[in-house]
Amino acid sequence: MNVIEAKTILLFYRPGTADADDPQIAGALTLAKREPELARWLEKHSARQEALRNKFRQITVPAGLKEQIISEQAVQAMTNYRRRRNTVFAAVASMAAVAILLFALSSSWLPQRQNNDNTLAVYQNQMAGIALRGYGMDLTTNDSEQIRAYLTHNKAPSDYALPAALQKTAVTGCAVVGWQNVKVSMICFRTGRPMPPNQSSDLWLFVVDRASLKDAPENSQPRFAAVKGIITAVWAQGDRVYLLGTEGDESTIMKYL
Amino acid sequence: MANDVEFENLVAQYYEPLYRFAFSLARDESDACDLTQQTFCIWAAKGHQLRDASKVKTWLFTTLHREFLGIRRKQTRFPQVELEEAAPELPVVSPSAISSHDTAQVLATLARLDEIYQAPVALFYLQDCSYKEIAEILQVPLGTVKSRLARGIGRLQEMIGGETEGPRPEQTRL
Repeated sequence: MNVIEAKTILLFYRPGTADADDPQIAGALTLAKREPELARWLEKHSARQEALRNKFRQITVPAGLKEQIISEQAVQAMTNYRRRRNTVFAAVASMAAVAILLFALSSSWLPQRQNNDNTLAVYQNQMAGIALRGYGMDLTTNDSEQIRAYLTHNKAPSDYALPAALQKTAVTGCAVVGWQNVKVSMICFRTGRPMPPNQSSDLWLFVVDRASLKDAPENSQPRFAAVKGIITAVWAQGDRVYLLGTEGDESTIMKYL
Repeated sequence: MANDVEFENLVAQYYEPLYRFAFSLARDESDACDLTQQTFCIWAAKGHQLRDASKVKTWLFTTLHREFLGIRRKQTRFPQVELEEAAPELPVVSPSAISSHDTAQVLATLARLDEIYQAPVALFYLQDCSYKEIAEILQVPLGTVKSRLARGIGRLQEMIGGETEGPRPEQTRL
């Protein structure tokens, strides 16, 4: 290392710091002890640097800055906490609102909620829907006794009493359908009117326990109502409620009562 | 509570050097306070992401420097010129002894250096950081730090009027 190289290295020397531990600087400092010219240069250079360093050291830190930083941070932390809490609260409130809305919707609109409503109107709607939607008969037969036997076997109402006109109408089969956790017997008839090729019946009788309806008819006097495009007649007899439906009007259905 | 104590200890340990660094760059007490505070605020929000505890110091200085550069870029795009500063440029410093200048003059001169020299020179004279730490703070290689320091210190001394002896920094090969 020559003097020029040493000066280059010592440009970065800051007395009183760990810079002296740097091997290159340490070497240059050693050389300065042997080289008077380098020693003089270093003395002047160090004096200039020290003067400049003093200017930077004179920067005074405002009183109370530390406390201000800490207290501001505490406020910020509290604000953040409140914001997070509010966010969580808002999220929970939103979820609750959605839940309430869904509950309200399901109460008024959704079919599964209607299923829990054991009124005669709901029952009529649902049975009419089964008749119109197309259904698969559990048993296809023209034998009334087989139908009763099947329904008995499946613990569905089978002790039904048919009006005289209906007794004379041809049966085509039966099915057991569910409603409000009770079994409903569905007996299918054919009136003899023209039907589409894929349809085997056009008159349907549904029999259910009276207890399953909270507003079951009081007596055997049929009440007529148009439901989903078919005409229905409802009456009660014994422990059973009967619902007869077919396409047409009141006069049409009265032929079978 | 433990985090609060940890935070307070950290502030106690670094707020002064950080403030001095901020003031060296911003030359305004209020701005320097804001920069220092903002640095600790960022630490409180993101400091937990730092895996290496030994890097806390350089992380804080780096963050402060970044914040300063960000603010200055905004001010460059939307300059806010105060009346006092709008008039003449800083007077040319006479070639007198450095000691005849006050800190404000020295910092004003520092501010006239190219941006890439300001932070390394300030960190050099503040003496809070080793060269390795300065390199980490500025996120440049050590050789680049020394190169910038050589040029920056030389230029600063020239501008202040000090006579730079020895090899001229511009000629230095590091």
